[in-house]
Amino acid sequence: MIIHADMDAFFASVEIREQPALRGKPVVVGGRAENRGVVAAASYAARQYGIRSAMPTATALKRCPELVVLPGRMALYSEVSRQIQAIFARYTPLIEPLSLDEAFLDVSASTTLFGPAPQIARDIKQAVLDELRLVVSMGVAPNKFVAKIASDLQKPNGFVVVEAADVQTFLDPLPVSRLWGVGKVTEKKLHARQIHSIADLRRASAPFICQHFGQYGEQLQQLARGHDPRAVITERDAKSISHETTFAQDVSDTEILRSVLSNLTEQVAWRMRRQNVRGRTVHLKLRFDDFHTITRARSLSSRTHRTRDLWHTVRQLLNREIANGLPPIRLIGMGVGGFDAEESHEQLDLFDVRHDSDANPGPARSEAGSIDKITDDINRRFGNKRLSRARGLRHPRPGSD
Amino acid sequence: MKFSIQREALLKPLQTIVGVVERRQTLPVLSNILVVVSNDRLSMTATDLEVEMIARVPLDNAQPGDTTIPARKIVDICRALPEGAVINITLDTEKERVTVQSGRSRFNLTTLPINDFPSVDEITSQFEFSLPQNILKHLIEKTSFAMAQQDVRYYLNGLLLEISSGVVRAVATDGHRLAMCTHDCDVKPVDTLQIIMPRKGVTELVKLLDDTDEPAQIQVSANHIKIQLNDFVFTSKLIDGRFPDYERVIPKNSDKHVVADKETLRQALVRTSILSNEKYRGIRIRLSDALLQAQANNPEMEEAEEDIEVDYSGEELEIGFNVSYLLDALGAVSDDTVSLDLGDSNSSCVVQPKGDSTCTYVIMPMRL
Repeated sequence: MIIHADMDAFFASVEIREQPALRGKPVVVGGRAENRGVVAAASYAARQYGIRSAMPTATALKRCPELVVLPGRMALYSEVSRQIQAIFARYTPLIEPLSLDEAFLDVSASTTLFGPAPQIARDIKQAVLDELRLVVSMGVAPNKFVAKIASDLQKPNGFVVVEAADVQTFLDPLPVSRLWGVGKVTEKKLHARQIHSIADLRRASAPFICQHFGQYGEQLQQLARGHDPRAVITERDAKSISHETTFAQDVSDTEILRSVLSNLTEQVAWRMRRQNVRGRTVHLKLRFDDFHTITRARSLSSRTHRTRDLWHTVRQLLNREIANGLPPIRLIGMGVGGFDAEESHEQLDLFDVRHDSDANPGPARSEAGSIDKITDDINRRFGNKRLSRARGLRHPRPGSD
Repeated sequence: MKFSIQREALLKPLQTIVGVVERRQTLPVLSNILVVVSNDRLSMTATDLEVEMIARVPLDNAQPGDTTIPARKIVDICRALPEGAVINITLDTEKERVTVQSGRSRFNLTTLPINDFPSVDEITSQFEFSLPQNILKHLIEKTSFAMAQQDVRYYLNGLLLEISSGVVRAVATDGHRLAMCTHDCDVKPVDTLQIIMPRKGVTELVKLLDDTDEPAQIQVSANHIKIQLNDFVFTSKLIDGRFPDYERVIPKNSDKHVVADKETLRQALVRTSILSNEKYRGIRIRLSDALLQAQANNPEMEEAEEDIEVDYSGEELEIGFNVSYLLDALGAVSDDTVSLDLGDSNSSCVVQPKGDSTCTYVIMPMRL
């Protein structure tokens, strides 16, 4: 069984824990309205005013003038996130963090030791509350997809268990928007074809779905049947690291595509450096407005986790597609694979700074490597994305208007 | 257009230039060669938009004309005809076809209009000099193996030619190893000139050069290099980038000096490499008094060891290398004796022919 653990209003809850006077008040963590900031997280009291994450702070303040707006303290949230993961780790080593505030846990092998999966989920929930004074919503189900829906269903303070036999009855009445990857655009397309519930999608004929949504439609139908074969992948075992973004509206502006791709590349490279893996193959993924999806890959001459090298490679892949003519894009993603399994056999580079030694003061200082190091240091200390490349700023920040 | 030519007189220049023609084309006309015939001369041009090669062959009693014909097919036909055959080539301007006839064989080839054939812009030469062919060939052959291939550092996917007062130098590096060869030359540029010739241009150019000291006339413009030989004209775009400061990565004060018989060392390393990891090609080198030990093992835990007598009296050292890089460098050394200068196990190794500093090879180690 899989557990999906999702912290309730994580950043805001951490702030309220730190400043008890804020309890019960509408609180958001986010950028200041004067700086065209957006809400990163909203307390449940704030959500009652219709305030959501990604909403401009100015709009939020209009809806609720007494709203408390706090600047984010990413370093603190990262620390709390580590404490939460430490609690998870008492029950299973198979943890796949999705972000600071949510993770999948595969507890199938832990049941003889700690009891059935629902019991483990209860224990974790209680431990997080007792030790960290934070609330986590839990979904327990046979696979990742159903567990994620389950954790969200009764938020806040949710706890939903779906046994294998009940998966279909659990899914059928839910709206299609609950499905992974179905956003506003896809939802609209499905509604236009009289598909509203997951049951509707499941019963629709496969050729019909395929005709309108291509391969992606096939995947959706698999999900509607409760099939999700993806395993929980711990960071250590990952064969590749990737990030992708689905746009709220299809994008044709190539500058925006490059900018978003640059951001994704920075995130991927940062995770690679954190896990100390170097990859050889770089992938670009594009999903078009008609849901047709292409991937392009290129191999490097040597393994790397440098942002600049990965960026140059993936940018070439994108530029080639742009040159061939691109339809509007609904999803863009990049990933790096081909990790070096053997730690040894590291070929040193002439132009790399790491290998300087007294006997050989030669190698030129590697600018790209030191930029990565400085960026990582600053982001580790002051929170993620404090320092990033300027080309990644050309597009509106995700979610802002 | 009509001319007769001996098979060998046509085949050799054709084979020399056809390497430029890419097998997969974006523009159909790029799989053709341009054929231009005057009264006494045939000129054939192949291009991939980056590199252009023109071959010139003398003719007798030809009827002038021009066209483009499929490159690979004309080469295959010439090659398949018997030795010594006389080939008659005729253009039917009306049908836009070329007939190739020899003995009792006849071939009819399609043509494409010459106006479609892209020509390199006339280059405005900023610097000109001349170099004996054999020296240019030597510079390339001693270094080009170290060029990078499809590296993101695009400026490494080529060969640096550096022309300074009285000296021409070629440098290639893929970041793991570096090869440098220097030669005296009667040149006096105002400033040191650095150009990067793309990998493909380098590999095609070397096919044109022979071991004579016939001069190669070299013209350099902002983005092209043009080299004129007796029977060939070679033009290549240049890589628009800055080559890294290679002199900084050549260690000057290594404290461990090994002198070895090149062939003994090379053969020992070839044998050791058989049991190195096929993918990484790592071998361990251990230095002790008068002894160089090479050791390799593979994932099957098979192991090879070689003891090589060398001239060495420094501290003991253990260091790993990609054996292919060592073998490439030793293969480029023409002297019988080779010197290896090393620092610590994280520092690069300098390989040079003993007593000859015109060729220098720098190899970064591998952590094993």
